[in-house]
Amino acid sequence: MEYEVVIGLEVHVELLTESKLFCACPNRFAAEPNVNTCPGCLGFPGILPQLNGAAVKKALTAALAFNCEIALFSYFDRKNYFYPDLSKGYQISQFHVPIGSKGHLDIEDDQGSIKNVRIGRVHMEEDAGKLVHSPAGDTSLVDYNRAGVPLIEVVTEPDLRTPGEARRYLEKLKSILQYARISDCKMEEGSLRCDANISLRPAGSDTLGSKTELKNMNSFKAVEKSLEHEIKRQRAILKSGQEVVSQTLRWEESSQETIVMRGKLQAHDYRCFVDPELAPVQLTAEEVAEARENLPEMAEARAARFVSDYSLPAYDAAVLTASRNLADYFEACLAGYDNPKAAGNWIMGELTARLNSTGSEADSCRFTPLFMAELLKMIDEGLISGKLAKEILDQSFASGKSPRQIVEKENLTQISDHGELEKVIRQMIEEHPDSVENYRGGKTKALGFLVGQVMKETKGKANPQLVNELLLKALDG
Amino acid sequence: MDSKTISAGRIADKVNKGELKARDLIEKVLQKAQEQNNKLNIFCSIAGAEALEQASAVDQKIESGICLPLAGVPLAVKDDFMYKALPTTLGSSQFKSFNPPYNAATVEKLIAAGAVVVGKTNIDNMGIGSATLDSPQGPTLNPHEPKRVAGSAGAAALAAGICSLALESDSSGALRQGASHCGVFGLLPSAGLVSRHGLAIHSGSFCRAGVSALFPEDLPVALNVISGYDPRDAATAAFREMNNRREKTDDLSNLVIGYLEALPGSVADLRRSLFKDTLDQIAALGVGKVEVIFKHLPEALRAFQVIAAAEASSTLLRYDGIRYGQAIEADDLELLYCKTRRATLNGEALTRSIFGTYFLSKGGYELYYRQALKVWTLVRQELKAAFEQCDLLLMPVVRTEPFLASGEPVFTDLYENDLYTVPASMTGNPAVCLPAGDLDGIPVGVQLIGKRLEDVFLLSAAVKITPVITSAPQGLDGGGN
Repeated sequence: MEYEVVIGLEVHVELLTESKLFCACPNRFAAEPNVNTCPGCLGFPGILPQLNGAAVKKALTAALAFNCEIALFSYFDRKNYFYPDLSKGYQISQFHVPIGSKGHLDIEDDQGSIKNVRIGRVHMEEDAGKLVHSPAGDTSLVDYNRAGVPLIEVVTEPDLRTPGEARRYLEKLKSILQYARISDCKMEEGSLRCDANISLRPAGSDTLGSKTELKNMNSFKAVEKSLEHEIKRQRAILKSGQEVVSQTLRWEESSQETIVMRGKLQAHDYRCFVDPELAPVQLTAEEVAEARENLPEMAEARAARFVSDYSLPAYDAAVLTASRNLADYFEACLAGYDNPKAAGNWIMGELTARLNSTGSEADSCRFTPLFMAELLKMIDEGLISGKLAKEILDQSFASGKSPRQIVEKENLTQISDHGELEKVIRQMIEEHPDSVENYRGGKTKALGFLVGQVMKETKGKANPQLVNELLLKALDG
Repeated sequence: MDSKTISAGRIADKVNKGELKARDLIEKVLQKAQEQNNKLNIFCSIAGAEALEQASAVDQKIESGICLPLAGVPLAVKDDFMYKALPTTLGSSQFKSFNPPYNAATVEKLIAAGAVVVGKTNIDNMGIGSATLDSPQGPTLNPHEPKRVAGSAGAAALAAGICSLALESDSSGALRQGASHCGVFGLLPSAGLVSRHGLAIHSGSFCRAGVSALFPEDLPVALNVISGYDPRDAATAAFREMNNRREKTDDLSNLVIGYLEALPGSVADLRRSLFKDTLDQIAALGVGKVEVIFKHLPEALRAFQVIAAAEASSTLLRYDGIRYGQAIEADDLELLYCKTRRATLNGEALTRSIFGTYFLSKGGYELYYRQALKVWTLVRQELKAAFEQCDLLLMPVVRTEPFLASGEPVFTDLYENDLYTVPASMTGNPAVCLPAGDLDGIPVGVQLIGKRLEDVFLLSAAVKITPVITSAPQGLDGGGN
């Protein structure tokens, strides 16, 4: 029998705000435990939640970016359960009325056509802390740095049909969240987390099969892999005539397989009810209109503009707009340099390589877009060679010094002075009569050798084109 | 001089004028606190050096020319308000050495206004209850009749002549019932006027901070000090709506007071007639009176119990011993939770936790919680309609005399006693309890409920009405120096 795969994703995203959702503690990733805490996020008695307006704005922007209907009046509920990482014994979350609902994202399906993925809800909630277990396994400690960090949860309808679609949905979601500066979406730091619900049903059936929930995937690739694994597992179960047990599974990256976390039978009764300590979230139509107005240009639109405005090849435009930081860098560079194709090549190649190897982002890089413009202009002016430019980029990338400064200070400017070069050329001709003989005898290869000798003598600073030109003149003239 | 015999206002006046040193007064007050505490079990902890330091700081400020509205006023603080200098026990043995790292907003404001914290007053476990019978140190005794409870230890600290002002909390009526039993004046301000930051609330919907005093004139002064917008309590956004509200009642003959003709619940005959007499005394001032209908009064109590239990069951989950308070060691996590929470919660706090968990569960939510929310809406509508006919509403405070300190009251009696205090708790209206006489030597108060945010108007009327319904502050050995 043929089976149809049905996938729905629940994505938790940490919002890029200065402070936590209900207290003034910094919302920052910290290595040292419990430094970003206060009596509020530690659940001390008598501390009431204070809603962070900036987080509401980010959540609103996200809901709009995902084409949601916006609830002008929403509120927070308490989801009650015991766990040591939950400091109040309940999580504050929008259970009954989410800020956004009935949204959608368009992605490409496996055949390359456009597919509409419905988003059921976008709601705000607070994150929990983290348990740290001792290596011996005999003690557990709690780190509350993450407790109270603002999150949105983005839940799709069961519209995805393949692991590839799931990955493309996540990539699209991440691109939008990053473009709108809603989240940095770093899966490795946990600022984007994805759980997947998956079930199989006979092709053509319109009822859902029993599903499993997959957790603990720490990359988009892991999401895709775990779904492929789970499809195989469920298909084998169904083919053997058995039923899939509805349960939560944990993806083990090391062994590339899933293990059972808990059965759904022990599902919690979270006893959700409106948090009486928080006022409802009230938005005006004007605020929503303003947020809609301020939605940034997203990746696809920007790529199209790069093609039309800067005559970039579609491939270059796609690479440069893959992240908003890189696209912003590119356009900032063009403010000081007017050859988009060359700028694009350097950013996609040299800069990206250095960003990747140092694990840094284009927006926080010390080699600013204006430095890049400066560097490229010096190449065009013939002041430095492309090879030297790469060395200067290395220095500037590390020190944050301007490329022009480096060139001037280290006297790296290309020698384009005719007199100076002619002197060296004469010297080389005298020192290598054999090569001159060979060249005149028709061995053009010898010319390359002589150019190389001039470059060596000038420590690479000679303008190679000019050397070529002058050498020919000296030999042929 | 006995602080009880003069008002907080008079004390502040004398200290501000340099006629009285705050430190001298507080030295005597501390001594008296100790003596009375031995007899009446009023305090969880009495401030010593901290109080004297505070008093000296007040004296220094006065000497440097600063005037303070509550200069040198001895203040009792209920033990659910955080105060860094003393432990906050929350009425639980697991918290006996819990020193909070922050002060309640109200405590901070009162201290800044010159008040001196004499001690933390006894409370029921987790601050839930109106009799202090669920306190690990036992109940606070009534200064007028030590066989019976005071209801509120803060009110006892006033009636026993120790303090002139008490910072109190109220959800089902503890502040007002205690004031009634002890013969003092208690103000439950409108919801949202006073910040609850640093008050260990168990119900966000119903818990409020208020004040009690020996003299009605002290209530508006204290309210002025403790009220105000505080971003740390979202509900105080209401304070901004307080502008342009009626403030003074110059002519009592323009006033209309609403009352209930038939008092539901089993109210003793003598209490009924005392209430009627009070109404007549007020009417004799030329005040208009109108009978109002409050059909859902009994249901209001039931709805209150469901919602308050639901909220407590959730809010008290944080007391798991993991981050603060004393945990009971156990081999696994679940057992640690069970043992610690069993040791931390008792009495009504435990009852509400269990019932509240059920009211919010899949089985109980529709049956109880949602129904209670509907009744809550009806109660709000009914009280709003009543206030279209009148300016103030006169109600009894409590149905019976205070419980015997030695006995264990049936918990339904405890609940029924909240019949007349929960409506104002549910609607956010301000209420003031005024002493109206006594029965068998134990004071009995009445309750005036005002329109929402018209607290100043309510207090102004209360000050004018007081002389005709009560001859003197109901102190033990009250009556001048």
